[in-house]
Amino acid sequence: MDKAETEAIREVLAGNRDAYRVLMDRHFCSVTRVAFRITGNEADAEEVAQETFLRAYNKLPSFRQDSAFSTWIMRIVMNTAINLVERRNRDLSYHAPRIVDEPSAAEHTVRVADRQAGPEDILLNSEAVSMRRAAMDELTPMERTAFTLRHMEDVPMTEIAAALNVTSNSAKQAVFRAVSKLRRSLAPVAGGLR
Amino acid sequence: MKHFSEEELIAYQLQESPDTAAICSHLENCSECADLSESIAETLRIFSAEPAPQPDLECNWQRLRSNLSVLTPERRRGFELMRWRWVWPTASLATAMLILLTVFGVLFHRGGETKRNVAVNGHGPITVEPTDPAIANHLDAAERLLTEVNNTSGPLDDATREQAHSLLLQNAIYVRNARDSGALAEAAVLENFGRVLTTLDNESPTQHSTWRLRLEMNTSGLLLDIRILRQNDDQSQGVSQ
Repeated sequence: MDKAETEAIREVLAGNRDAYRVLMDRHFCSVTRVAFRITGNEADAEEVAQETFLRAYNKLPSFRQDSAFSTWIMRIVMNTAINLVERRNRDLSYHAPRIVDEPSAAEHTVRVADRQAGPEDILLNSEAVSMRRAAMDELTPMERTAFTLRHMEDVPMTEIAAALNVTSNSAKQAVFRAVSKLRRSLAPVAGGLR
Repeated sequence: MKHFSEEELIAYQLQESPDTAAICSHLENCSECADLSESIAETLRIFSAEPAPQPDLECNWQRLRSNLSVLTPERRRGFELMRWRWVWPTASLATAMLILLTVFGVLFHRGGETKRNVAVNGHGPITVEPTDPAIANHLDAAERLLTEVNNTSGPLDDATREQAHSLLLQNAIYVRNARDSGALAEAAVLENFGRVLTTLDNESPTQHSTWRLRLEMNTSGLLLDIRILRQNDDQSQGVSQ
């Protein structure tokens, strides 16, 4: 593990909580990005990132440092984000406003429309975003996590498997299932399955 | 001509295939597979990465800092580990016997209605009937919870225990549904999972509680059964589509 990170952890464990800032500066952006990929919105991503760093801090005394801090915290963020998505899925009322799906609401905005685009482009853009989001909502949290991290973040399959605490084969299968489901979800607009 | 499956072509498009050269040359000669491969590539293009937001580090640090307590390193308690040394092998033996009896009990009581539903390790698809899509989520959650149980060295954290609590009620519903539909093997696996959840929900966490749970309830074997159910569920959904 990186020397500066080892030193920061040692200081935190010795009672200097400000030393945790070193770890946060290094990893908060990547943790937020992963949380954003899994939850699909900015507000939840920040909430997950905060919770992740708090959980990591509280678990730091039991962190054995035989793996990198980045791998360890990635595992925590994935689990935290998946738990949040599952909680949201259980709370049906959370989905109610999303049917309207106006990307102007801050927590729903995942894509900024081109200011130069005409009304038709904006409409097509928002429809495309809605379709993608609806297709992603069909995935289980595990499939969504494995797929977005592998395809959008280029995280190696072994790392995803380690973070999700499943075998590499299970992680691979989750990605394959996700792609297959997404392809089927888009089939009606793409002119049917080929 | 041997065609490649959708899964093999997905692996190819994600650069995870061990047969890249063979698939590549096949795609040049087979329009059917080439179309399917292009459809997968198109799907991946549609779901390519969108820009992610940049968090405000200073603001987030100030928010986080106010929640941080001052830490001290955890001390190892070797003595307690020694004290429990002989309890676990005995408990695991008793658990293995109990599981064997349960499995035999389930098999002998199946009688009456015969269904193509066998969720015992190593057997094929358990059903060709349409399944409840929500069960896939439940099995995913179960798989993750059990892997957490199997890999955690100390007590489980609050979030995991909270998740076990929320899964408990859902699990009871899936057990009842499985029983009602005659899927006795599925019901038996979910019932075992329910016992793990009940224990997690009711016992206070100690240094050894997770370890004891693993031994007494054979969570590794249960995880394998859940994975088989998951796989069978996928296969049956594939058949129904």
